[in-house]
Amino acid sequence: MTLDPRAFREAGRAALHDPSLRIALGRLKTHFALGRARAVERYGDWEALREQGRAIRDYALAHLDTLLEEFERNVVARGGQVHWARDAKEAREIVLRILREAGAKSVTKGKSMVSEEIALNPYLDANGVEPVETDLGEYIVQLRREPPSHIIAPAFHLNKEDVAKTFREAHTALDPDRPLVERTELVAEARALLRARFESADAGITGANFLTAEEGAAVLVTNEGNGDLTRLLPKTHIVLTGLEKVVANLEHAAVLLRLLTRSATGQDISSYVTVMNGPRAPDESDGPQNFHVVLVDNGRTRLLGTDAEEVLRCIRCAACLNHCPIYAAVGGHTYGATYTGPIGAALNPGLMGVGVAHRHPNASTFCGRCAEVCPVKIPLPTIMRHWRAREYASGLAPKSMTAGLGAWAFFAKRPALYRFAAGIVACALKFLARNGRVHSLPLLHNWFLVRDFPAPQGKTFHALWTARQ
Amino acid sequence: MSAREDILAAIRARRAKAVAAPPSYCAPAPPDSVQAFVEHATRANAEVRLIANETEIPQAVAELLRARNLPAIVHVPPNASNLPWNSAPGLMRERAAPGPEDAAVAIAPFGIGETGTLAYPSATDAPASWHFRAGFEIAVIRAEDILMRMEDVIARLKATALPPTLNFVTGPSRTGDIEQTLELGAHGPKVLAILIIQD
Amino acid sequence: MRRDRDVREFPPARKKEAGLAAVSRLPRFEQCLYSIWGNCRKTRVVQPNAVEESRAPRPRVGLFITCLVDLVRPQVGFAAVKLLEQAGCDVEVPAQTCCGQPAWNSGADKYAADLARQVIAAFEPFDYVVAPSGSCAGMIKLHYPEVLANDARWLPRARALAAKTHELISFLVNVRGMKGVDAHCAARTCYHDSCSSLREMRVREQPRELLASVDGLSLSELKEPEVCCGFGGLFSVKYPEISERMADDKIADAQATCAEMMVGGDLGCLLHLKGRMQRKGVNMRVRHVAEVLAGMAGEPALGET
Ligand code: SF4
Repeated sequence: MTLDPRAFREAGRAALHDPSLRIALGRLKTHFALGRARAVERYGDWEALREQGRAIRDYALAHLDTLLEEFERNVVARGGQVHWARDAKEAREIVLRILREAGAKSVTKGKSMVSEEIALNPYLDANGVEPVETDLGEYIVQLRREPPSHIIAPAFHLNKEDVAKTFREAHTALDPDRPLVERTELVAEARALLRARFESADAGITGANFLTAEEGAAVLVTNEGNGDLTRLLPKTHIVLTGLEKVVANLEHAAVLLRLLTRSATGQDISSYVTVMNGPRAPDESDGPQNFHVVLVDNGRTRLLGTDAEEVLRCIRCAACLNHCPIYAAVGGHTYGATYTGPIGAALNPGLMGVGVAHRHPNASTFCGRCAEVCPVKIPLPTIMRHWRAREYASGLAPKSMTAGLGAWAFFAKRPALYRFAAGIVACALKFLARNGRVHSLPLLHNWFLVRDFPAPQGKTFHALWTARQ
Repeated sequence: MSAREDILAAIRARRAKAVAAPPSYCAPAPPDSVQAFVEHATRANAEVRLIANETEIPQAVAELLRARNLPAIVHVPPNASNLPWNSAPGLMRERAAPGPEDAAVAIAPFGIGETGTLAYPSATDAPASWHFRAGFEIAVIRAEDILMRMEDVIARLKATALPPTLNFVTGPSRTGDIEQTLELGAHGPKVLAILIIQD
Repeated sequence: MRRDRDVREFPPARKKEAGLAAVSRLPRFEQCLYSIWGNCRKTRVVQPNAVEESRAPRPRVGLFITCLVDLVRPQVGFAAVKLLEQAGCDVEVPAQTCCGQPAWNSGADKYAADLARQVIAAFEPFDYVVAPSGSCAGMIKLHYPEVLANDARWLPRARALAAKTHELISFLVNVRGMKGVDAHCAARTCYHDSCSSLREMRVREQPRELLASVDGLSLSELKEPEVCCGFGGLFSVKYPEISERMADDKIADAQATCAEMMVGGDLGCLLHLKGRMQRKGVNMRVRHVAEVLAGMAGEPALGET
């Protein structure tokens, strides 16, 4: 499956007609949105918590340089190493170098969106290191050679029958007649197979939900425990993460954690939250001997000080996806990018360039639900609009639209002329209408593709009002 | 310039506004941390039992295993080896790391009432990987060690030193990755039982 | 400030009746005034603070007729005039075209700024700006200050205008204290919340409150009133297939309430939904809520002849 953010409309059309995707997407409401609503309800003063979360992230972004330096100092003081990557290529190379130095042939991986963003797996494969995804959803999509379709639920687009089929095709060493119908059977099969991979892996790569400067720690949030086995069993642990994840201290991370799990899955806290603070102590019997943090920029610092800066507050909870009617209609793969839904629409033009990702911010009605649920109060529609303005200014907007807007603005800036024209249009539309509707018109093909236009009353308000006065 | 210098320079060149440190925040808390702990841990699918004192631990462990038709074998990390194990004669103890179907005991130095969470700082005598290797974890915690919030635990640990790995565990391992429907025991324990010592 | 007795006995304050209103404090005239009023108005507003209002000068309201109302359904504009007058306002309609939202949402910032200045200049003199649309009101109230953020001369004027701009129904209820209307419309009805009304302008209970007072009307709620209908201005033509799916979900939700009529506060959504219903052959009347509240439900509904 190739990722092409430019093909949003075409991919969306196909997705709209995929019946099994429709079933999967139905679970956004029944599972994610409902769970979040209940958790928020239970919490009490959610708005105060959101405000605190926003303040914590804003503080961190305003002090990004000093916090990163402090983070680095403290990681090093605890025996770890910090690496800085300007872009995806540098990040991939750094990871490979660490793995080579560790003599790693196979590497287990906890779910990391940054790993998807920099396309790490194909690179490792091509360079003789086998990456094994261990988050169940990520494992499933890795077997299917698909990208994740949701930032916290990679196999969101699949139903259990799809998973069973994938497992039968991939796990050829197992008895082909084994029962594989229930979710419990699928989970048990993956658990058994992956445990062996954990035990034999030479290195582990995880992401991080937060980095804390004061402690030099990476905080990881999971439900399965795969991230911890990835860190604790192999000799070398690499944390691969966006550099904007840093916050001042663990106390700040604890506040964000309250927002994160409730917004993501509706849990008060996830099963596992791990503060990963360097390599194991000399007398410890487990834990990694080598600890590396790779800080990835890849377009993030470019957003600082711009109108899109607030998008860097994101804690990747996916609440905006889960409440997005566009995502609910077309699913994640339509976006052709790692980040999907509203966060994708607000972030992708920044990371990938407006010319590549300009379809994403246009795929929004600005209904505002995403901003309403975002735990760190990112004004997502405002940022999408900013990208539309950049698109317009760089001449990337469709010619038909800019021409139409130009003509419309010409009239709209001249009230008398506008009234005259509006009067003609109102009258003409009424004339064209049959049975209370206009069925088609040249130029407005896309409107009439899916709907009629209810017949107007025939005269404009302004004409009638003037007559009445 | 190195990537590090480049990135830091880019940040400094773009940083626009001064932002004050956020005010301190105190999460809402119920009156009683132990009661809140029991409630939240239970909601997170843990099985919670209250016991009177340390001497009841071996019996309680044996009962938990029996109730699940599991063999009377439990893996015991070094920091739990001094418990009065002899009070449960039929119970076998293992010192090796547990496998995916094994039961293991874990001593939790702290708990969090707000979320029903166990806090395990890694240590020489308390290996972190056990919390994920076992199929059945039996956690032991003193009621007096159950604090209200995560921040309280962090403060206690910071008073000495943070461990290399600090695990916060709430309920058994779980996944919703297939059809967003809860399944327990994705990689870590399928069952988590918590014994709260009340004395 | 509310008086305890039944405020229904008071006629709304209007210019001509300002003198009479002063007299109306005398209880024995009330019945008499009531009957005069009842005979000369088909629709009567119930206004709790009529007495206080009558002493205060009548506010001048600049009515912002949205471009869709102007073009497609002038009746909504007249309904708004009627309701505002009932609420004791003097209504004027200054020269205007469009609020500029299509340009702003497309990123055509210069056009948006030109139109914002035009609207500000035209509407500044009024005590209030009221629009029968959450979307256009939201554009003026929330986005004009963004549109003109870099224009030092116009920004204060944009802010001043934003501060006195309201969506029609919330203006009637929150600012003018309207509690109910005297209108009749026997129909099982569902209400469509537009996203801009709901989230930008905080309109939710107000239309429901007024609709509850419409004689014969029963209101049933959608299952997912907070979900977007898929109009989104130019979105409806940029991504017609997604817009179609969202409209179909909304229409199915509305049909499940067994409503015969859908009302809403934003003509954009309603044209999109009605147009989709016409294409699918779904029979449901669609109207702007102001028409129903102003007692104009006897006129043909959207797309009816
Ligand atoms: S933008 Fe907000 S809601 Fe969306 S993933 Fe990021 S933090 Fe969550």
